[in-house]
Amino acid sequence: MDKQAATNVIPSDVWRPSRREVIGAGGALLLGGGLAAALRYASKQERGLRADVFIGKAPTYQCDFERIISEGLETLGVNRDAVRGKRILLKPNLVETALGMAHINTNPAVVVGAAEAFRRLGAAEVLVAEGQGHRRDSRLVLDESGMGEAIERAKIPFVDLNHDDVVSVPNAGGWTKLPSLILPRTVVDADWIVSLPKLKTHHWAGVTCAMKNFFGVMPGIVYGWPKNVLHYLGIPESILDINATVKPTLAIVDGVVGMEGDGPIMGTPKDVGCVVIGRNLPAVDATCVRVMGLNPMGVKYLTEASGRLGPILSENIFQRGESLDSLQTAFTVLDIPHLHAVRGG
Amino acid sequence: MNWRENLLNQMKRAVQATGGWGYARSRTSSSAPTVVACLALTARDSASVDVLRGLRFLASMQRSDGSVPIHPALSSPAWPTGLAVLAWIAAKTLAGGEFGDSVRAAVSWLLALEGVPFRSDRAVHGHDTTLVGWPWVKGTHSWVEPTAYALLALRAAGRADHPRAREAVRLLLDRQLPEGGWNYGNTKILGNTLRPFPGPTGVALCALQGETRQEEVASSVKYLERELQRIRAPMSLGWGLIGLNAWARPEHGGEPWLNESAARLERWEIDPLAASLLLLADGPGFATLLNRVPATHG
Repeated sequence: MDKQAATNVIPSDVWRPSRREVIGAGGALLLGGGLAAALRYASKQERGLRADVFIGKAPTYQCDFERIISEGLETLGVNRDAVRGKRILLKPNLVETALGMAHINTNPAVVVGAAEAFRRLGAAEVLVAEGQGHRRDSRLVLDESGMGEAIERAKIPFVDLNHDDVVSVPNAGGWTKLPSLILPRTVVDADWIVSLPKLKTHHWAGVTCAMKNFFGVMPGIVYGWPKNVLHYLGIPESILDINATVKPTLAIVDGVVGMEGDGPIMGTPKDVGCVVIGRNLPAVDATCVRVMGLNPMGVKYLTEASGRLGPILSENIFQRGESLDSLQTAFTVLDIPHLHAVRGG
Repeated sequence: MNWRENLLNQMKRAVQATGGWGYARSRTSSSAPTVVACLALTARDSASVDVLRGLRFLASMQRSDGSVPIHPALSSPAWPTGLAVLAWIAAKTLAGGEFGDSVRAAVSWLLALEGVPFRSDRAVHGHDTTLVGWPWVKGTHSWVEPTAYALLALRAAGRADHPRAREAVRLLLDRQLPEGGWNYGNTKILGNTLRPFPGPTGVALCALQGETRQEEVASSVKYLERELQRIRAPMSLGWGLIGLNAWARPEHGGEPWLNESAARLERWEIDPLAASLLLLADGPGFATLLNRVPATHG
């Protein structure tokens, strides 16, 4: 990239999207006054697509997460025949740690509960893997989040995806110009990839949930800390390419305590009291956005995923378990122009 | 056997047929863990055969443009190039002039590599986004660790007066957090001050040794003195102590912390990078290397 062109790009954690970039086609129509038109567009895109999403009630981290997650898996048809003999990679969100800020990261109780649920269904191996986007030292993140102690006690191995061997895989998405993605060997070798994110707002993308969580499978030794390459390529576009290429099997969202305001690291805790589970990640994320009282049509990566990676319209998502209305909690979002679409609708 | 002997023994067992080290014993040889292993062994005047083989492995990875990529199978990114320069120069007593051409090519590549600056509002990004520095990956913005590695390399190569080295000092000081310490390289985003991390703080303090006044970094030294009391994760403790030793070595030299951290390492698969960092953090290890570097080279 030449310097002249580069000065027209705003990168980073330092990426600031254009109005059109963030809100996407659906959002642009929405801001243009055409909510009905945006919905018609998405409805056409999603013709024939359906997904089940389970919501389980979990008021505190003292809940029996193995039971809640097992119930969700059973409801979604994830049974012993599907899981037996599989190598299952659990990908929590451990972006960075800070004392008194446990709501930044996926809670260890949810991760251990998921591991136990898969073990009960006959998984050959369950491991936890993460490639944090900010902190390079996984051991420190494991220490400070309590995750290290919890998974060691449960005898769940951990793999540092930032420093794993790497494999080049063709980009199955095509939203960015990257011909291939370089992924950790452990991710490529896993039979099932399960996203275990935290329910949070995100000051650039609007929200971060099951799909954005996969920034953490991109190895830092290749993409840097932060993974600035992905910011330059476009956060929504990168989310879509990674998900299209990694092809995650399932998402289990820690929505017990989420984060509102200046997420994903500086926001405030938000009690919600749920776990959201599904096999289609756009459907899971759209449901989570609704749980947050926000508008999925204002999240660019979701409107782009609509029809290509899954459904996001409520008419195409079959809600199982608890009703969405009973758990819906209004999350505050920063009052900045590129986030207005996610608040509206 | 004390912790130092244990770690040296682990590194001996982890050296691979390539002559390099991986991020773990079972992983393929990579440039960054090999560089840090060579630095650690050089600082202790230990395992000179292994050091020479490691340095030659790095030279074998070097591309015609002078860069040293992260893995032999990849052409980029090449952020370990700055550290490779340091390792080649630090081992000059052992290697003679064997790596002179490698150093010259690597320094030339480093001087050609720039982070991407951009215009921004300070209310959005707290740091000076127009400074160039060094990126992790070509075509992206500058960050703390790669800029610090490049500064260390230029100092080692006798190019501390180069305008890019001077700008690197300004960049690192600009990215220092208001209450002390560094993270990966953002100070404030959307008006919120971000948090410091011990590892990057150690890397930045190490690179700035002798390049700025003590009072400019006093808050960061204090941050590390406080944080390292509780941190036993090897990578963070290692870089943290290396940085602290450069400015205010603790009275006990970090011995009890290193001992505890090394004991933790024994529970996991051999991690040559972590083991090397603990050895470099032992006493004046890293400073010894910098002092050995001849004033002119390249």
